[in-house]
Amino acid sequence: MNLDPTGAPTAELKVIGKRLARVDALERVTGQAIYPADLKLPGMVHAKILRSPLAHARIRGIDSTRAQALKGVLAVVTAADFPALPVGSTIPMGETGYDMWMVAAINMARDKVHWVGQPVAAVAAVDVHTAAAALALIAVDYEPLEPVLGILAAMAPEAPVLHEHVFTKGIEPRPRAPSNVCSRVVISRGDASAALQDADASARVRVEVDTAHQGYLEPQVAMAQVDANGFATVWASTQGQFTAELMIARMLGLPASKLKVVPLEIGGGFGGKIAIHGEAVAVRLAQKCQRPVKLVLTREEVLQGGSGPAAGALIDVAVAAQKDGGLRAIEGTYRMDAGGLPGMSPSLLMQASAALYQCPNLSLEGYDVVTNKPRTEAYRGPGGIQAAFAVEQAMDMLCQKLGMDPLEFRQRNASVTGGLMPIGTPFPAIGLDTILEAVGRHRCWTEPLAPGAYPRGRGLALGYWRGTSMTSAAHITIAGDGRPMVTMGAVDLSGTRSTMAQVVAEEFGLAIEDVHVQTGDSKSVGYSDGAAGSRVARTMTAALVEACADALRQLRMRAAEKLQSAPELLHYADAVFRAPQPSGAAISLAELMQATLTDGAVVGRGVSSKLPLGVEIGAHVCDVEVDTDSGLVTILRYTAFQDVGLALNPIAVEGQIEGSVVQGLGWALLEGFDYGPDGRLRNASLLDYRMPTALDVPRIESVIIETPVPNVPYGVRGVGEVPIVPPAAAVANAIARAVGVRVCHMPMTPERVLAAIRAAPGRPDVS
Amino acid sequence: MKTLLACTINAEAHTVLVDVRDTLLDLVRERIGLTGSKEGCGNGNCGTCTVLLDGAAVNACLVLALEVAGREVVTIEGVARVGELHPIQSALVESGGTQCGFCTPGIVLAAKALLDTNADPSEQDIRQAIAGNLCRCTGYGKIVDAIATAAARLRETET
Repeated sequence: MNLDPTGAPTAELKVIGKRLARVDALERVTGQAIYPADLKLPGMVHAKILRSPLAHARIRGIDSTRAQALKGVLAVVTAADFPALPVGSTIPMGETGYDMWMVAAINMARDKVHWVGQPVAAVAAVDVHTAAAALALIAVDYEPLEPVLGILAAMAPEAPVLHEHVFTKGIEPRPRAPSNVCSRVVISRGDASAALQDADASARVRVEVDTAHQGYLEPQVAMAQVDANGFATVWASTQGQFTAELMIARMLGLPASKLKVVPLEIGGGFGGKIAIHGEAVAVRLAQKCQRPVKLVLTREEVLQGGSGPAAGALIDVAVAAQKDGGLRAIEGTYRMDAGGLPGMSPSLLMQASAALYQCPNLSLEGYDVVTNKPRTEAYRGPGGIQAAFAVEQAMDMLCQKLGMDPLEFRQRNASVTGGLMPIGTPFPAIGLDTILEAVGRHRCWTEPLAPGAYPRGRGLALGYWRGTSMTSAAHITIAGDGRPMVTMGAVDLSGTRSTMAQVVAEEFGLAIEDVHVQTGDSKSVGYSDGAAGSRVARTMTAALVEACADALRQLRMRAAEKLQSAPELLHYADAVFRAPQPSGAAISLAELMQATLTDGAVVGRGVSSKLPLGVEIGAHVCDVEVDTDSGLVTILRYTAFQDVGLALNPIAVEGQIEGSVVQGLGWALLEGFDYGPDGRLRNASLLDYRMPTALDVPRIESVIIETPVPNVPYGVRGVGEVPIVPPAAAVANAIARAVGVRVCHMPMTPERVLAAIRAAPGRPDVS
Repeated sequence: MKTLLACTINAEAHTVLVDVRDTLLDLVRERIGLTGSKEGCGNGNCGTCTVLLDGAAVNACLVLALEVAGREVVTIEGVARVGELHPIQSALVESGGTQCGFCTPGIVLAAKALLDTNADPSEQDIRQAIAGNLCRCTGYGKIVDAIATAAARLRETET
């Protein structure tokens, strides 16, 4: 392994770090890549899900007699067809596990519905039209309850309670009444409120963030088949075949040995395809009707409660500094709208929002709040963009009050390696100072803004995301021609097959074309956690470095026998083992495998768990023009600086950064869920929920900085999440510098920008 | 109700039994088995089902199968010649213009419709041509680059 103790590669890299095309690009550009919707099985039937039309109601009864009698209907299921899982029945997933009571509720409501679109029944029929017709024949007797929609309304003491068993966690003594506040998290250091009073300058901001959707272009699809022995196979569009298997098995009460999940190509996930959305329902239907069952969600279902969007938020932040720019305090209240079921702990996003500043006084308080809206799920650095929208605007306001350059202010207060993170542990190697230096030298920062038809401004914002490591496993077999065949436990969400082929090629001294990488199903490779949390490239690299060493050790033993040399004396390079002089005899991997084909398989195994974190840090610079007549904000230029540790493949890294930034810009300017007073989403289509098109965004420039992570193979950091964190704040700061007003409601639509401009005092120049 | 439909798909004559409710997307995906065209929304908002109908880019989900009787359809499966990618495809491969790949077939066909009629498009022309094709992974930059590269290569081969 090419590693010195600092994690920096010592030998010159031949394949890693090169701008290589994806190994699976040809299938993609020719239409040959197979996604679950493309599958057909003999005898296959089609499923449809009946969803709640009400945001909050008790289910008094479900009568499916008429649906079952419809010609062509083969099976109907409701919650009664699944075991009732108790609250707190967790399966492993990350540090906290996954509550199966909630996963079950996402897939099939029991007794109560908590959002419009929550599943209440499902049908399998000979065709989609018949299945849809059958849904209309299922009679659900609802007792409507008052929907609770806003965060503050849900937190009010008199609010109707969504879940009788939810008592606020993080309050001592344990509250005696149930609450819509599921958890409270406090992070504090020093005395922030005293520091805010005593400091030379302070700034406060309240921001509101509308719920947005991950927006993957492929709706969820599941195909389920149950064989004559009861063994179930599920082909799915999932971020984790093992997580999906655990969830399906628990929802059905199936032993793990009776189930296999096969991940096919995934048409985007971004956090929204970690939980299952109908897979277990498809299996139950398949069991009942003894036919393969295909379930394809429509786009409207995906948006209208069928697949969780990202959390909305209401955040208050106050920051204070001395005249010299020294930051004294960050105080924040973070209220996250989880939707109809308890969400994630707000701890990570709270830490992220304060992590990049050395600050002696912190007081951060976070709330996870339930409302009668779709249960939210992760979306790329979950909570990061919401929190940065508040904190990075507050920091910018503070700079304006101090009359200080925003970059200089960041440099003055930047976190450094070994400094304390908000939770009190020291930072691993971080290159924030290097990033800020790079910003200061770059033309996107040094070139003055050219004047335009309307006011223009430049904004700076930082982003931090911790990411996670968890477990990745892989094995390598050696083909008869000596080439490594890799099976990994991770789904390829971001070009993983390509970057991992590069890693294995590097370790073997081969070209990337000589390595074949596939994603294994949940029964053909070791347990791996899902593709989430910017963890896969880093941890799978570590697993594969180990698997390569294991395979090469086995090959070395075989080569030693053939070359009649001691194994440790053999020299290996570029797929050839060579005996020392005077013999100097050599054998290639191809010859070796041909000579030992009947000696059994060479299987190199590797697993990575508890790899050191590869925290992600970025700084973004954005130029905007604000049309003061319409409120339309045009992004003129956008540059993203990011420390990636080491770029395994710069094309893939740029692709992650550019795509992530554009998602952030979409939420910043265009994307927001618009709920009616009844809790129904009013913009449940991709026309009304408008994601950026090629005309809405400029070319994103990425500046890659490499500060390797110690004790991690090749020093790789996470890449994909943090670039979505700063964009909204960078745009907001640019708007503020263009037109002198703060837009504190995301998305910053033309209406909201115009309203902010018109509300600003002393602006006679705009009508 | 089902009926027989005759049309040309990727230069092959087809006579297919279709449901009168079938869209052109159902025709190519479900009846013919060409699954390269994707369904991202089913109502013309995302462009993942883009195909060429008599040379023009259309959302296959918005065209009824019966409307294509006697007409010529090109799907992603009909763009490359055996063993030879179209320059748009090879440029997308090289530039990193495909990530999850779900929008890619539609992008290829929207770009082909552009380059078939405009040999020297500006960046704005390219962005306009793919404005009906959402991509959630790439941020569009590498796609725009690829189409510009393909246009330049096509001009070279024609002179």
